[in-house]
Amino acid sequence: MGAFVFAAQMVNFPVGPGTSGHLVGGALLTVVLGPAAASLVLTAILVLQALIFQDGGVLALGANVFNMALAGVAAAYLANRLWAHASRSVAIFAAGALSVMTSACLALGQLLISGVPMTGGVLWASLGLFLISAIMEGAITVAAVRAIERLNPAWITPQPATSRAVAAVAMAALVLVVGGTLIASAAPDGIQRLTMQGVDSVGWRARTMAGLVGIAMIFALCYLGGKLKSRRRSA
Amino acid sequence: MHHLVIDRWSRGSSSLHQRDPRAKLAALLVFLVVLSTTRPGAQWAFVAYAVLLILTANLARLPILGLASRAALVLPFSATFALLTWWSGDSLRALALAEKSFLSGTAALLLVGTTPLTGWTAALESWRVPRMLILVIQFVYRYLFVIAEQVQRMRWAALCRGPKQRGFRLAAGLVGVLFARSWQRADGIYHAMLARGFRGRFVPAPPAPFRSSDALFLSTCLAGCLAIRMLL
Repeated sequence: MGAFVFAAQMVNFPVGPGTSGHLVGGALLTVVLGPAAASLVLTAILVLQALIFQDGGVLALGANVFNMALAGVAAAYLANRLWAHASRSVAIFAAGALSVMTSACLALGQLLISGVPMTGGVLWASLGLFLISAIMEGAITVAAVRAIERLNPAWITPQPATSRAVAAVAMAALVLVVGGTLIASAAPDGIQRLTMQGVDSVGWRARTMAGLVGIAMIFALCYLGGKLKSRRRSA
Repeated sequence: MHHLVIDRWSRGSSSLHQRDPRAKLAALLVFLVVLSTTRPGAQWAFVAYAVLLILTANLARLPILGLASRAALVLPFSATFALLTWWSGDSLRALALAEKSFLSGTAALLLVGTTPLTGWTAALESWRVPRMLILVIQFVYRYLFVIAEQVQRMRWAALCRGPKQRGFRLAAGLVGVLFARSWQRADGIYHAMLARGFRGRFVPAPPAPFRSSDALFLSTCLAGCLAIRMLL
């Protein structure tokens, strides 16, 4: 019964970001509702989008659910938990940016694996675009969470202090992020895997590395920001 | 709004509309698997798939052009990658990529265009898809339009208050307020449902028995798909 309260309450919300400037909204959902509910809602949205709005396509549904509803939410959750003690805004910004970036890198990796050849230039260009949208998403997530907090602070799911369980989740997510581009693309989706053929194995390793470097850069940026903030606070 | 069109389509009364949702869902899955495993070189197979889909749409008495234009919404996305593939010299696979995404989109539209939402979610439920997920899907769909309208109203209101005010702060505030309102609405709806005796699931009408015509439809689809895949 308590589970259903969840369903009824969260459902209405996700439509908003979709219409106002096509925000992915995964991080916002994660921060507000918690990771489990966020995954569920995003999966539902993706199913509806694929079937009714032809957004994303039916064939890519499995990969999309993995990239956005699972990996994206995991990245957002991890970032939010890890940096919550340093500074709330940095944590939320990192959650937004990382969730988009993780999904994007996974998607690029899967595309490479399934045989869409991309030259280095194209890859860098799309990574740049994703970086910009990641930063936008991070910023707007922070602003939206602030606005929600102003309206009623009780709505934001409280983030308990970092515990050992979180460390385990953090490790898992780290593995996911680091190995994600490679591992996830090895098993993106049953159907996609069937069509996989002719992977040129020389170039794509280097290119996925580019994606990893991008993620690492954001991580480092957020980490430094969090450190700076917390140091200033203790001083 | 085009999703309303799909709602109208799904309330038709053709023989395809009357088939069991489970049979249609299974047929869609078969089609998707067969389609995605087709070799890029087998161009005639794609033509045959298209003919199959057109025949089905005819059976359902859905407008072919409307169907195709809605399915084409998927193209901007996949065409980007198709173009990339084209530039790298693999024109055959590029063509196959675009065709596959278009055909799969059309097939999915055929399902949702001949089956009301409650039909295909009931089919999913009978296949043991988690009930939570189905509930969320149903709720998202039901309140999508309500919330979309609310967004529109809020945008107009913001415009009226000051046309110069735009961008970031406005968008963030909009999302925040929208969240607050959705939350309150959800709360109200939930309590109203409780008051009417809701116990955590919608009780659908007992599903119609899987008739022999449904089995016939499914096996025809299966045979057609497999024949195309094997022969062409």
